Amino acid sequence: MTAAPMIDVRGVVYDYPTARALHGVSFTVEAGAVLAMVGPNGAGKTTLLRCMAALDNPTEGEIIVAGLDTRGDPRGVHAAIGYLPDFFGLYEELSVRRALTYAARSRGMSPGETPRAVEEAAARVQLTDRLEMRAGELSRGLKQRLAIAQTIVHRPRVLLLDEPAAGLDPEARRALSDLILRLAGEGMTIVVSSHILAELEDYSTRMLMIRDGAVAGGGVVAAGSGARHGLQVAVAFADPPQDLPERLAAIGVTLERHDGEEVVLLAPEGEDDAALLARLIGAGLKVRSFQPVRRTLEDAYLAEVAR
Amino acid sequence: MNPEFQRNLWLEASPRRIAWAGVVLLLIYGAAITLTRSNPYGALPALGGVGAVVFVVCAMIWGARASGNSILTEIADRTWDFQRLSALKPWAMTWGKLFGGASLAWLCGLTGLLMMVIAGLSGRVTGLATTAVFMLALAVLLQAISLGAALIGVRKARAEGRTARASGVLGGLIIGAILLSWVAGSAGFQRGMGTEGFGALFTANGLVDWGGRLWSAAAFRAVALTLFAAWAVIGAWRLMRLELQMQNAPVIWPAFLIFLAIFAGGFVLRTQGFAASLAVGSLVVALSAYAAAFAEPADRVRIRQFAHFAAKGDLARAAPLTPAPLAPLLIATLLVLGAFAAPTGSLMTPELGQAGALIAFLLRDLGVIALCRMGERPQRGDFSAVVALGLLYGVGGSIGWAVGQETGGALFAPLANAPLISLASGLAQAAVVWVLAAKRIGINAPPSAPASVPAT
Repeated sequence: MTAAPMIDVRGVVYDYPTARALHGVSFTVEAGAVLAMVGPNGAGKTTLLRCMAALDNPTEGEIIVAGLDTRGDPRGVHAAIGYLPDFFGLYEELSVRRALTYAARSRGMSPGETPRAVEEAAARVQLTDRLEMRAGELSRGLKQRLAIAQTIVHRPRVLLLDEPAAGLDPEARRALSDLILRLAGEGMTIVVSSHILAELEDYSTRMLMIRDGAVAGGGVVAAGSGARHGLQVAVAFADPPQDLPERLAAIGVTLERHDGEEVVLLAPEGEDDAALLARLIGAGLKVRSFQPVRRTLEDAYLAEVAR
Repeated sequence: MNPEFQRNLWLEASPRRIAWAGVVLLLIYGAAITLTRSNPYGALPALGGVGAVVFVVCAMIWGARASGNSILTEIADRTWDFQRLSALKPWAMTWGKLFGGASLAWLCGLTGLLMMVIAGLSGRVTGLATTAVFMLALAVLLQAISLGAALIGVRKARAEGRTARASGVLGGLIIGAILLSWVAGSAGFQRGMGTEGFGALFTANGLVDWGGRLWSAAAFRAVALTLFAAWAVIGAWRLMRLELQMQNAPVIWPAFLIFLAIFAGGFVLRTQGFAASLAVGSLVVALSAYAAAFAEPADRVRIRQFAHFAAKGDLARAAPLTPAPLAPLLIATLLVLGAFAAPTGSLMTPELGQAGALIAFLLRDLGVIALCRMGERPQRGDFSAVVALGLLYGVGGSIGWAVGQETGGALFAPLANAPLISLASGLAQAAVVWVLAAKRIGINAPPSAPASVPAT
């Protein structure tokens, strides 16, 4: 039995009063994935994210987030998610501590657990030393961090980020990538929308392409760093043994598929290229070629475009 | 504490702002004391008067502005979606904004009310409690109307693809004040029309004739304002529910319309009878239909969904999508039919045509508003609808009158002297306008049809 997806979008149609923005969009996102939602400007990404956040009701279709129907229980969905819009605002006159306190309390946290949640959220985005500063005094990058801290302070199960790196300098983008990786590592399901593929490269494990209000390509596909799925390597063996799958399994390596004379292996997460090669040779396998597979998001995007 | 209320207190009633407000108030009250030191009755009467002005300025004007801004500022600062995503209940959000957004205005205003009460008590002024209740209720009423107008503005702006503006709130407040003035002036206090009636709210003396008996005007005014303030707060709460993506069953709105009809009709019950009460009630409810037609977001997708579910008999899904003008249209129709049937106990009266003409023209006007607002540029719809109605009644009526006196005029307005002509003309115009409006909305298109179908 497979677990229910964390996000299940079924046949979503969205109409603005004078134009259709989404045309029957369907896809699922499993728990713990980091989904890159890519597509050109005006493709419908923001509209889709707003529907997923239960901020707008689809004209047709159904969206289930964390087991809750966005139409039937919008407030439940609001409590279960964090959503950062592309153009976000902050209460500039409030201190960082008060902004986070309000965010936590307004998202249902009790007065007792709020101070600790505020400290934790500030620590996650490295704003602990700025808790007493006014939000309006923060730089663009720090404001972004505060906005993200506000969206995660209540420990949501799903995080929706709309163009989160827009306007950030390279250093701030790196910090954002690290944060998203950390949150994903903690089990949060994250959907990040962007039209800049490079900024999604570091942390995305899945990709969904939206074009003209519809899913383009083959729906949700593996993409990006793949860090959460381990290390993929294309290996050619000289005189491969009959019991190759068993011998690989014995050293903790999975044979994913045959690709001509090569096989694609999947080593556990965190595996090092050199260490894997040493283990293969140590297991008595004659390695003729060894090439780590790094399918970039752009590769995946172009492959989907070509479908 | 309600987090929304607390956040508003942090922003609006910070110690620094309170300190500055205190300094300003001390200067105002100090100036009043200084200027009246030679008054043989002392400074208290003047302080009471100044206090009343401070309450009006702070709690009513500044407070109303602050309540509306508690929404509009969120829109301008792009924090409204963040609030909509909160887990706060709509009621907590409503009162948190209503009283939190205007917290400093309330603090300042209440010092004025306190001065007024102290001065009144020392001068043994009668009816002081009633006056205080009236003033408090009026402040709450204005603030809740402002909050509700802002919420309506936000919904309309979203549907029309534009940014919500403060001018929408201001316009709503002015229209609300004029309507209040009209009702109070024409029916409540028999002081004439327009702003005279509005002024009568402040200076009500003597007795008010309502519900078949006479009431103390001051007490009636206080109770009526308190009830309207309660309805305004309920209205703001219902609108907040919609903003927080919750659905409203069409219950509270019809209940308010019935209250409104009873309230307005009560003023003529003793002198003109039950039928006249129904007629006055129907008039006020019909006015509400116009207000509702303009307040509703210009969203033809929503109307199409309503029509689709209603046609399928899926009332559970159709009910929350019910267009707001529908309830007042139905209630006004029942009331006006009742008004003409009441004297004889039968609908088959000579006045039936007149009743029908009134309803036909109401139906036509709602169709004109729908036709203008459901076009491809809904942001211009309100203005177009006002112009179209002005042309139909003003220019059309004038031409009709010039051509055929009352008979010609009856073609463009429901006139009592030619009711059957008015009825036939009203029905024909309503049919034409609604066919065009239905075509523009795409009423027969399934919800799966693209929003742009039909384009025009």
